[in-house]
Formats: sequence, C-alpha cells, structure tokens
Amino acid sequence: MKRSVLPLALLAMAATAARADHTALLRSAEEAYGKGEYRQALTLYDSVNTSHTSAALLFNIGNCWSKLDDTPHAILYYERALRLAPGAEDIQANLDQARTKVVDRVNELPGMTLGTLWDRLRGGTDVDQWARRSLWACLAAFVLAGIAVSVRAGALKRVLFGLGALAFAATLVSVALAAYRVGEVEDRSEAIIMVPKVDVLGEPRRGATTLFVLHQGTKVTVLQERNGWYEVKLGSGSVGWSAPASLERI
Amino acid sequence: MNRILAPLLMCIALLGGTAVHAQEITFKASADRTEIATGDALKLTVSLVNAPMGSAIGNPAFGGLVVVQGPFDSNSFSNINGRMGSSVTRTWYLTAMQPGDYTIGSAMARVGGGMIQTEPIKVHVTKGQTTGPNSAQLEQAQKADPNLFCTISLSKSKVYVGEQILSTYTLYSRYNSLQPGDYDLPKLDGFWAEEIELGETSWEKVPQTVNGIRYNVAVLKKQVLIPQHGGKLRIEPMTLNYRVNPSFFSSGTPVRIKSNAAEVTVMDLPENKPADYIGAVGDLHLEVKTAATTVKANEAIDLTVRFSGRANLRLIDAPKLAFPSDFESYDPKMTDKITVNGGGMSGSREFQYLVIPRHEGDYDIGTLTYSYFDPASGQYKQLRSEPLTFHIQKGDPNASATISRPSRTDVQELGKDIRFIRTGDLALEPSGHHLFGSWPYVLGLLAPVGAFIAFFSWRRRRARLLADTHGLRRRGADKVARQRLKAAEEALTKNDRTAFYDALGKALEGYFADKFDLGVAEVNAAMVTAKLGHLDDGAVARAYNALLSDAEMARFAPFENRPRQASYDEAAALIRRIEDQLRA
Repeated sequence: MKRSVLPLALLAMAATAARADHTALLRSAEEAYGKGEYRQALTLYDSVNTSHTSAALLFNIGNCWSKLDDTPHAILYYERALRLAPGAEDIQANLDQARTKVVDRVNELPGMTLGTLWDRLRGGTDVDQWARRSLWACLAAFVLAGIAVSVRAGALKRVLFGLGALAFAATLVSVALAAYRVGEVEDRSEAIIMVPKVDVLGEPRRGATTLFVLHQGTKVTVLQERNGWYEVKLGSGSVGWSAPASLERI
Repeated sequence: MNRILAPLLMCIALLGGTAVHAQEITFKASADRTEIATGDALKLTVSLVNAPMGSAIGNPAFGGLVVVQGPFDSNSFSNINGRMGSSVTRTWYLTAMQPGDYTIGSAMARVGGGMIQTEPIKVHVTKGQTTGPNSAQLEQAQKADPNLFCTISLSKSKVYVGEQILSTYTLYSRYNSLQPGDYDLPKLDGFWAEEIELGETSWEKVPQTVNGIRYNVAVLKKQVLIPQHGGKLRIEPMTLNYRVNPSFFSSGTPVRIKSNAAEVTVMDLPENKPADYIGAVGDLHLEVKTAATTVKANEAIDLTVRFSGRANLRLIDAPKLAFPSDFESYDPKMTDKITVNGGGMSGSREFQYLVIPRHEGDYDIGTLTYSYFDPASGQYKQLRSEPLTFHIQKGDPNASATISRPSRTDVQELGKDIRFIRTGDLALEPSGHHLFGSWPYVLGLLAPVGAFIAFFSWRRRRARLLADTHGLRRRGADKVARQRLKAAEEALTKNDRTAFYDALGKALEGYFADKFDLGVAEVNAAMVTAKLGHLDDGAVARAYNALLSDAEMARFAPFENRPRQASYDEAAALIRRIEDQLRA
C-alpha cells in the first residue's frame, strides 16, 4: 500500500513547489487585471503559462485577450481552458460571449456536445482525476481480494470477493476514462482562425481556387499539415487548405 | 366723478331709513401678480369693505414701482334681506423699469376714530425681453398706411427648438378715436403659445415718433411662443378691422389693416442628447425632497422632484425614477406654479412620487440626474440631486398583508460583460504532464497486484507447512543436526578432541530426538534400534549406535577407535542416509 501512495505524494510535493513559485506572479496579475491594466496582466499570466498551466489560468488569459478586444485569442484560450475543464460554466459563458463577435456562422454538425452529464463524468478541471481514481480502485480491488483469501470460506468471503471484482471492474473503467481524457487533452486537431480573413483554397498553394472565406475566431478541425499549409474541415463538413500561419491549434 | 358720487349715494341709502347693521370691516390690498417682467403692469387693488361713512383710504407707498394708470375708485352697496353692505375699491396699474425686488407699502384707512392698514406686498420683477419692433419693420408697416398700422415683433429671430420667444403685437395710430372691430389672430403653426395677461388695452402715455410722425401706441397682445420643430417658422400677418373717428352721427370709417409677417429660424437641438434629457429648454434648477429617509417596509415615501426656473416648464415630462425593483413607485402627481409674463414662462413644475419599499435593507439610490438644454451656451446641462439613501426597516407583517404584493418581473439584463477572472489558487500543474501513463502511475497500478501475488503465495506455502507439524520439525531437525555437525567440524579443525566428541555426540542425540519427537533422555541404543531398525536391515541403527557409543567413549576415555575425520564423515553420511531413506 505504501508503494502506491509514494508517487502520489511525490507529485503533490512537486506541484506545491511550482505553486509557490508562481504565487507572486499570479497575485500581481490579479491586481493588474483588477485595475484594468489588461496588457500587464496578460504578460504576467503568459509568463506563468510557459511552464505551468491550468484551466483557470487559461481562462484568465482568455479574459485578458477578451478585454483587449482580441476575439480570436480570447476564443483560443477559452477553448484551451474548456478542454482542460469540460463543462465549466463560466468558461463556456465567456466563450459564448466572445463567439458573438465571430463573423462566420458555421452550422455545427449535431452530436458535437453530449451535455453536461458527460462533461461532469469526464472530470471537471482535473485531467488526472480518473488516473487517480483508477489507482485507488486498483488498490481497493487487491486489498479486498487479499482479505478475501485470508478469511474462512463463507458468506463474508463471497461478499469480499464480489466487492473486489467490482473494484477491479471500476479500475478498468477508470483506466479507460483516464486514457480517454488524456487523449482528449492532448488532441491538437482543432484550431482557431487567427487572421482577420483567410481564403480557404482547393490546393495547398497560392493561386488555387478559393473554396470559401473564413474570418477570425472561427473554429476548424485540422486534418493534416503540408509545407505549413493546413487542410481544414469546418463543422459543416467543408474541407479546404488554409494558408500558413493563418490559424493556431487549440 | 366717483368720489363725488359715493357720499351722495350713501346719503341716499341712509335717508331711505334702513338701519345700518354693524358688520365686519375688512381692509385688504391685493395684487393680481407678484412676479412681473420689466415693462409689464400689475394690478393693485385696495378694498375697504363695510366701512362706516366718512372712512378714507390713503394711498400706499409704491416702493419704486411706477403708476401706469389709476387710481380708479369704485363703490358698491348691497342690501340683502335688510342687511346693508358696502365696499370701496381703489385700483392702480403699476410697472417697474428695473428688475429687482419691490415692496408695495401698507395702505392706510381711517375708519371711525382709528386707523387700519393693509399688509405690504412683495413684488419680484425680472428682466423683460426687449420686444419693440425694429425700425425696418416699422418703416415697412408705415408705408402701407401711415395713419394706422400694426406690427408683430419677436424678441429673437434665431432660437433653438423649445426656446421661448416673446411676440408683441403693437398698434400705431394717428387717429383721435378708434373703435375696434373684429380681428384675425395669426395662425401659429409649429408653436406652443401662451398668452400674457396685459389687462385692458390702453394707449401708452408717451407717444412714439416714427419717421417724424407722432403715433399713439398700444400693445394689443403679448405671447410666449415655443417652437416645436426645427426649420424656418413663419407667423402670418394679423388682420384687424377698426372704425375710425366714430361720432354720434356716424359709425366711423372702416379701416382694415394688416400687420407684417414674422419669421423665426429654429435650430434643432444638438445631436448628443443625454439619456436623462427631460425635454426642457431654458434655465433650470432641481430640487429633490423626501419627507423621510428611514421608514419601515411597506410604508409610503413621498419623493418630490421640483424643476424651477425660466424654461418651457409646461413641456417637461415626468422624469423616470431609477429605483431598484424592491421599490414600488406610482405615477407622479404634477403640480405647476407657472407664470407667464413679459419675461417668458417661469416658475416651477413639481412631480410628487409615491414610492413604497417592499423589503428592508439599506438602499443607495445615488444621485438623480436630469439634463436640460441651455440655449444661452448652446449645450446640454445636467442637474444633479444630493445622493439619496434609504434605510428601510423591517415592516409590520400585518401591514404588508393589506397592501398588494409587488408584481414579480423577470430580472432584466442591463449589459453584457465577460465573467471575472478566477483568483486565488489556480491549481497549476506542469504543462503537458499527466499522471496517466507516467512511471509512478504504472508502478501505482502494478504495486497492489504484486503485493497481492506475494501475499497469496506466502499464504499458500504457510498453509502447506501448517498442514503437517511433524514435517516442520523434521525439516528443523535436519537443520539442527547440520548445525551441530558444524560445531563438531569447527572443533575438528581446531584439533580439540573433547569438544569434537562432545559436539558429535550432542548432534547425533539431538538429531535423533528431534527427528522422532523425543526427549534427549529417551535417546538410547534400544530406541535407536526401534526407530531406525527398519532401515537397511538394521545397518543404519547399528552404525548410529556405534557412532554414539564411540563419541561417548571418546568423551570420557583418552583413546579413539578411528580418526576424528572418519567419525565426522560417517556421522554426516549417516544423517544424510537417514534423511534420504525416511523421505523416500
């Protein structure tokens, strides 16, 4: 049992040290934001974001961009925050607010959002929530099994074995969810258009046929990258090539 | 004439033989207006009612005001059911040349033996607007008919929408006698008009000279005009009919005159109209009053918003009160104290609001702000009240039941903004690092599995061992024998004879005792034969006994049958042999 707690304890210690480093920076950033010096607050938050991150930090950066009237950056950071903390209400609210300034109205395919229950199940702000749960479930499963083999055959033994089996099943489920969450967080296939206007072409070269025009803040899915050109897909299903440096991955 | 008539009539009344009943004597002075503009006239009336015969009214001091007309005396008598009443009234028309505050002094009257006097009257005189027609207008009007003409003159020719203009209709005449006929008032399209009371039309005392010709001048009419929309507004000419020089024998010659037309350029108010603009143009003051700022919930608060000054007061709408939804407010009651005189429209308009707080608490309403347009500077100006705060105490629960519940409304969104940043602990984690898939995670998952497997196998082995206790002992015996032989081996290398045999004997005895679960005392030749006799047709038992006796002998006697090494080797071989054979 000791062995399984040790890595967690080490992680916690490392995280505490990191927090202590950035507390002063965050404090002054908060102060600057409170006074309306959004540029200053943004610089401070960005300096923290180089090494450490969290949904709340990304949300704050998004707010700074929003206050500086830079909609695409605001949307980018809100999207990043939302990916770390799916279903977070205030992030979603600010993202919706920022999206009202986006010119393009792309018809999103149905089924893009599965509702808050799924969001909550996936695990709020904490990416590692399910990883930790899987560790506990695994521990519980084998402790129960250990007790079960130690006791005399009878009803208690059967119950303990049953509980152990349940805990083992929970372990498998939470490992799967943890894997899904991490995959989701590390998925970089979505991107935000950062330039005021970009022509999406039929081929990845200048002068190709313009298929459609996108404006800043629109969310696209990047299918592949070729010589700096991005093959993008819209929520409506349209596909085309977007010029280099026209977008930023979420 | 009246002065002569009055005593005469009184005498007639008295001679009629009716007794004069003593009645209450009143002596009053009154003015029809106490606020006038320079050039306007006010009517001062001093009346003495039910005074006995021989009473006399003295003139009051006019305090700087100039008498335009008067005094006019009038007497009246009444006889109602035998009761005699009388009144003497003296009237003056007064005006002021300079703006300021004037006081009309007390009038005295001698009644019987004593003197009575009236209250003094205060008069406020504001600066009137210059209303006389200019010379160009006059000359043009004079050309049409040099004997009789009329002008319309305006105090301003370029104004803002809502700004006041004074229009004056003036008649110029060279005839001795004029009899007015009917007249057409000009249509005032686009204006809100207010008449100014002038009293009776009369010729001005001083004749006016236009182009060397003397005219009698009379102001026929004065109006305050408030334009309602921008553009060039025109006041059409006024038409008047007069009969000139009527006499007993003729009704006079009819004359029809037409005044000039007047034009005003009306400018629209500037675009940047404040949200709290109340529609007033002019010069305004604001006064906000509440009876109480600390009340109980469900008790009414009277809030009075008063606009005063010189402006188009009649066009001020009821201002909106920005009260929180916890307050219920009703439509205001409007009270006007507006005078229209030569200075324009002035006075006050008051809105009295009834506000009922529904919940206790401290409410900071803030300052009430209202804007009006100041045409003098061409800018909007804001009026601010003192900050309003209300302390609402818990109301009487019984009282609230009798008053209607506040109507429920949806919360209104007034503005939109993003939500505030998260503060405090932001739960930072190293970028790109996840617990899942890291070495600690894999170890953490595997550790319980490994621990379980180790626990399980340990338990299996232990269970097997526990299943036969003798086996445990036997295995232990083997170990002990080997240990004992080890002690003998040590003594052998040290060439310590006694110790060697001692150790050898103990090893053999101890091994046997442990092997068959016996006490050391029970180990003897017979027991060895009994226990080991079945092995190798008794050869093992014999060899064991021989070794035992050898060891015993050598321990106490100083001779040896065999070299020590041979005894040691045999003992070891024997134990191994017993082990092998017993296990098989």
